[in-house]
Amino acid sequence: MFSHYLDLAWRSIRKTPMMSLLMVFAISIGIGITIMTLNVHQLMANNPAGDRSDKLYSVNLWSQGPDSWDEFAVNLSFQDVMNLRKSDAAPRKAAMIATGMALTSTNPEVEPKLEHVRATDRDFFAMFSVPFLFGGPWEAGADSEPARVVVIGKTINDALFQGKNSVGEVVYLDNKPFRVVGVIDDWRVLPKFYDLHNGPTNDTEKLFIPFSLVEQEKYDPWGNVSGWKYEDGDLFNTEKVWIQFWAELNTPAELENYRNFLDGYVDSQQQLGRFTDMSRSSWVRLNDVANHLKDNKVVPEDNQILIGLSLLFLLVCLVNILGLMLSKFLKRAPEVGVRRAIGASKRQIFAQHLVEVGLVGMLGGCFGLLWAWGALHYLASRFALDDALTRLDPSIWFIAPGIAIGSAILAGMYPAWVICKTKPSVYLKSQ
Amino acid sequence: MSAIKPILSAMLRSRSAPVLLLLQIILSVAIVANAAFIIHQRLGLMERDSGVAEAEVLSFKLYNFGDGVDLKERSRRDLELLRALPGVKTVAPANMLPLGSSGWRSGFVDGPDPDTAKSLPGMAVYMGDENLLETFGLKLIEGRNFIPGRIAEGLNDTEVPREVIVTKAYAKAAFGDESPIGKRVYEGGITAFTIVGVVDKLQSAWVNDDEVENSVLVNVNMNGTGQFNTMVVRAEAVDHARLTDAIKEVLHRDDPRRVLFSFKSIAQYRESAYAQHAMMAFVLGAMIVLLLAITALGLSGMVMFNIERRTKQIGTRRALGATRGNILGWFLTENYLLLGIGALVGSLLAFELSRQLMDFFSLDALAWQYPAVTVVLLFVVTTIAVIIPARRAAAISPSIATRSV
Repeated sequence: MFSHYLDLAWRSIRKTPMMSLLMVFAISIGIGITIMTLNVHQLMANNPAGDRSDKLYSVNLWSQGPDSWDEFAVNLSFQDVMNLRKSDAAPRKAAMIATGMALTSTNPEVEPKLEHVRATDRDFFAMFSVPFLFGGPWEAGADSEPARVVVIGKTINDALFQGKNSVGEVVYLDNKPFRVVGVIDDWRVLPKFYDLHNGPTNDTEKLFIPFSLVEQEKYDPWGNVSGWKYEDGDLFNTEKVWIQFWAELNTPAELENYRNFLDGYVDSQQQLGRFTDMSRSSWVRLNDVANHLKDNKVVPEDNQILIGLSLLFLLVCLVNILGLMLSKFLKRAPEVGVRRAIGASKRQIFAQHLVEVGLVGMLGGCFGLLWAWGALHYLASRFALDDALTRLDPSIWFIAPGIAIGSAILAGMYPAWVICKTKPSVYLKSQ
Repeated sequence: MSAIKPILSAMLRSRSAPVLLLLQIILSVAIVANAAFIIHQRLGLMERDSGVAEAEVLSFKLYNFGDGVDLKERSRRDLELLRALPGVKTVAPANMLPLGSSGWRSGFVDGPDPDTAKSLPGMAVYMGDENLLETFGLKLIEGRNFIPGRIAEGLNDTEVPREVIVTKAYAKAAFGDESPIGKRVYEGGITAFTIVGVVDKLQSAWVNDDEVENSVLVNVNMNGTGQFNTMVVRAEAVDHARLTDAIKEVLHRDDPRRVLFSFKSIAQYRESAYAQHAMMAFVLGAMIVLLLAITALGLSGMVMFNIERRTKQIGTRRALGATRGNILGWFLTENYLLLGIGALVGSLLAFELSRQLMDFFSLDALAWQYPAVTVVLLFVVTTIAVIIPARRAAAISPSIATRSV
């Protein structure tokens, strides 16, 4: 029966090509704009940590004095990080900063290239499920005793070592030799939740070095450095915050335990005259990935406005289609009257027309996806939209046809109902 | 006007089509008015003047690495090499760039005692030498520029007294209408800065900042104190491409093992700084055009259908003496009736939508002109959308009334 209705629907669409084209056009525009804005939202609202979302916690401390900042800082000061790194209260933990260095090989012909580098701890790779091609993270010893070791990304391995297993080879960062201990496969997280403040759509780094080197080599942080009071001295002995710190806590007990540890830490620091904002009841915030993404508002505000407006736009398109559909179906009333007279049930008439509407919706959805895809690429090339946002989120393949067919059927419900109520007698008489 | 009553009763008899049209008009008014309002605001943001000779200012960054490099000496030599290049008007070191989206922010206090001093508004802190003013192309409206030879070499150089040139906006925010020249401000109550000049305008690096007009220049040359240096070169825009090559050539000849990158004019930084707003305006603009197009097409389609359905009726009217103009007027009156009600309800909805947007996002209240203009626009669009098919109705011959179907 369904295929028969589909056949009827297709005939009907072909019989009034202009009208059908108009309907498909209208719905495809509505769907296209909605899909485009929803796609950006889906990508940015994505939680890339998956089932590790409630196991990874961004550690925030209210180390600022009274009357300074209104909110928790995302980053920590060097002294806090060094103290927290010493504790075993969390099974895994990683401090990290974004920095950059000039990458060179022994080949003098290759021009030095400035590369983003993440200085972090060994646990980073396990915590954030970084896939290795060759080798692995550095030995735990490098976290306490600075060692010039590096984990490199696939593209760098391809460029410098032609994709071979380069573990044990040497690359030069700012002219200093670093021994390659691991090569990671292409790895992408969007949004880049472990460091949202250096651009949530930025690529992940292709070079990772031990955090322990940061103090020894005085690497410049490439991210935000924020201070709430005037201080002399370098970054390493001030209250300025510039380091991200994450802990892995797998069970509620571990979470509780770590919170207690941090509370104790704050107490010990208050003895030393730090954490002076006494208007607070807690100086500690442990944010899992979902909350971390929410608190940092990674979905752009403009995008949310556009989603609202595009949904209204879609509504206009649907109202439009509803009207057109009503006109078209009513025109067919004599034909339906005859069919009713020779025994077609109301349900069959209703189903037949809904199939037709659904088909229009599906065609509109297909074109809508094309519109959305084209529009995203156009916007990316014209307005420096991040390329990451131009790919279609996997969920869109379900959302798009869902919205297209669903909304078309919703719009078609009324016209189909009106037409299936057609009284056969009226049309038999007039003929 | 006497036609309104029969038209109204005709519409009331087959309600669904007019109701749908009405709904479409109401939604269109609400969406188009708000979208147009947001577009206008974004364009307003984008038009603001940065105070800088944007097209002429070419900037680039250099990254020095390796042991045993005298960074200060090298930075001094770099400046000389750049000045000697043909086509270069002026050159200056800088720590940040207007519209550059990253940079330094700070806040002064108004007294030397940190316990009693009051905080002054936050501002972007540009650090450079006596050439920065001219290289950026800033307009000095009061006081003087920095004096050659009295430029501190980095933040740790406390020998040279600190001087500041502030923007007019900052002076106003900090001191009201008083002249700021000669006033002293402090950082953490420790370092004193004397205000020596006022420039008309200099925007900060962040275009979405509320305090985008609050900027100061300080007589500190940060180049040579770290591995990163930012250079600003003023030259005719047409020379930028040639100069980019020349700069790379001359600085690499001095030392090939360093990285030169981000050769961009401030005009190019402007483009990326406002890309988000430009995109928003573009997408909303496209939405308005498409919405009007769809509304018009839908309306035309519906009128066309109505004509077919009412062919006999129209024929009868024509036979009874209605002129072509009467028929056209009938369809138009029908449309204007709907538009009138739609405009009224749509405007109310537009303000409600604006209120919702204001609650959730940092948007301003909708100005009344936007729904008004939207209604005028819809008036034009629907008139065209109705007239084109309705002319076919007017062309219906009275003889049709005598036929049976």
